[in-house]
Amino acid sequence: VLTRVWLPYIYLYGVGGVAFFGGLFMVLRSEGFRRTDPRHRRWVGILVFGFVWYAAIHGIGTLAALYA
Amino acid sequence: MDAASAAGESWVFWAIVIGYFIIVLGFGSWFARFNKSTSDFFFGGRRFSWWLITMSIVATGVGSHSFLKYSSKAFEHGVSGTMAYLNDWFFMPLFMFGWLPIIYYLRVRSIPEYFERRFNRTVRVLATIALLLFMLGYIGIGFVTMAKTLQPILAGVLGWDLITIIWVVAAVAGVYITFGGQTAVIFTDLLQGFILLLAGVALFFLGLNWFGGFDALWQILPPDFKLPLAHFNDDPSFNFVGIFWQDAIAGSIGFLFMNQGLIMRFMACKSVNDGRKAAAFNVLFLLPISAIAVACAGWIGRGMVIQGDLPADIAADDIFVRVTALLTTPAGFGFFVAAVTAALMSTVDTLINAVAAVVINDIYRPILEARKEVRADGHYLKVAMIVSALATIVGVGSAWGFSKFDSLYEAHGFFHATLTPPLVTAIFLGIFWRRFNSRGAVSVFIAGAGLMVLGRFFPGTLISPFSHGIEAVGNTPYKYIGALYNIVVCFGAGVVGTLWPYGKDVVSKALDPSNTAESRGLTLWTLGKARHNFKGGEPNDAPGETVTALWQIDDQLAEGTVCMDAAALSAMAANPGDLVYVCDRRWWLGGLRSAHARFESPEGATAGVVFIAPDIAEAAHFQEGREVTVEKEF
Repeated sequence: VLTRVWLPYIYLYGVGGVAFFGGLFMVLRSEGFRRTDPRHRRWVGILVFGFVWYAAIHGIGTLAALYA
Repeated sequence: MDAASAAGESWVFWAIVIGYFIIVLGFGSWFARFNKSTSDFFFGGRRFSWWLITMSIVATGVGSHSFLKYSSKAFEHGVSGTMAYLNDWFFMPLFMFGWLPIIYYLRVRSIPEYFERRFNRTVRVLATIALLLFMLGYIGIGFVTMAKTLQPILAGVLGWDLITIIWVVAAVAGVYITFGGQTAVIFTDLLQGFILLLAGVALFFLGLNWFGGFDALWQILPPDFKLPLAHFNDDPSFNFVGIFWQDAIAGSIGFLFMNQGLIMRFMACKSVNDGRKAAAFNVLFLLPISAIAVACAGWIGRGMVIQGDLPADIAADDIFVRVTALLTTPAGFGFFVAAVTAALMSTVDTLINAVAAVVINDIYRPILEARKEVRADGHYLKVAMIVSALATIVGVGSAWGFSKFDSLYEAHGFFHATLTPPLVTAIFLGIFWRRFNSRGAVSVFIAGAGLMVLGRFFPGTLISPFSHGIEAVGNTPYKYIGALYNIVVCFGAGVVGTLWPYGKDVVSKALDPSNTAESRGLTLWTLGKARHNFKGGEPNDAPGETVTALWQIDDQLAEGTVCMDAAALSAMAANPGDLVYVCDRRWWLGGLRSAHARFESPEGATAGVVFIAPDIAEAAHFQEGREVTVEKEF
């Protein structure tokens, strides 16, 4: 059964990563983002943290299912 | 007799169910004394702190149909049954810095309104039709979910089948609406989501207690069941790649960009920054907790089947009700069933009223105005009642269609994959591609929708190239991955419709950075214009402090203004004419006592006091002698 395991993870953060970082790149070049505003720079950090946070939840969840 | 049927014969169970409905309606009726102003107060004021909005947003994450839908799939497929809850972060950059500031600064109150301002009246009508179909389908989803919630309880007592229960539920919904159900919506908006979330978390801990702790349940379940993502493409009824395109892409954009409930809540935030905080906290922390709350009955149910506490042939859509009945007393079970059915009733109620409002305001009234016919309010009320009755009957029809699917999850997935792509595409291209125009938007709704229908007739030819190896089975193959085909044809229709007239100049036109007149302030690339319009002048983004002061009414001040001394303005880095937010100093009020205003010239102002115009004092509900905080908005 456990063939199922890693392709969904790679696809999720591959295709999802293109959508996320493509969107972030677009935002950084737009009028909606003011690079001189420290709050805006902090939000970029939070956005990247969120991506890593979910990648960790899914990654650790997969490892726990296999080995815990 | 199983626990659910036994509860159906318990007077305690029915007393709790009826009592809960009476409390919900009573709460709504008490608020209804303030009627229109209540709705305006909660959703029209731009006054609330992020944490209060976050509490209210729970109702959009723990939807009324979520428990049945997700516990069913969690029972069949394990932890991966919740993957739709954990994939909403991918579009957050575009939401936080694109759509959220646009709706906030332009004060957009509905999706059709955005379409009219971004494109034209024709696109608004097409979007309205698509939204009507979406709402009518959701009414059907509500009816079939309510019927499936009550079926394990009523089937044993009264012997009714699902279709009979759907008709009875629809009749009860009609009575509920007629006798004041709409007043209970404020309860749904504020508290019900939170109650459902707490109930779901309580169910999780009751389940762990049943097995003797988390570790005991974890060890019972097989590894395949515990994986957080489903098989890539195996099992047409539940596979990763199909649900990725149906939910993580089409569903996430739909949830973040076209959910009317979310739009209203973000419009109620005191600032765009607080809206971002509410959205981030919701997706990062509340959605994972919500996933556990709505799906845990499925995991517990699987453990119970393995242990022999439940029969192996139990229907997946019954698992939430059967597990809840086993884990709780008749009184506790009555509370769960009442909370879920009351939430469903409010959802259906809101949708039926919304359908009536859209038909009257966007279709019927404009037709009469075009004919120069003037009608009294009573006439519109009568038409609204007829439309509500028709919407209920159409809802029953769609509920009958949804009941033919193997599970509620598949019905919902197919419904989303089919109806959201045109709206999602038109909104998405409208916000992020400045060249996208009315012709392109019409192409999405006409040509895109036409190609989607063709795809349903010829799935083997048109959808299978997108299928990622998913097997085509049943009368409606490619339930989820059909969303990818639908998104591609809608995007294609929008791009071709926009660029078709440019012939060989198509590439240069597609990348042309100049703004079309119709998109100023309405796209990601023209947000500076939106902020300028919002303030009515050049925004002042110089960083400043928040100042604390006592407040005093000044009858001489112009409407909508406040005044402070020059030193306070200097500390805030503010100038006369800047926008300001004045709020009661007690943080835990969450902005209940607050107002937005504009700074007047500081001449003659006393230090340590903020002078406010009478209309601002009335809007803010400040209390005598209480200090307020004053901060520049921009």
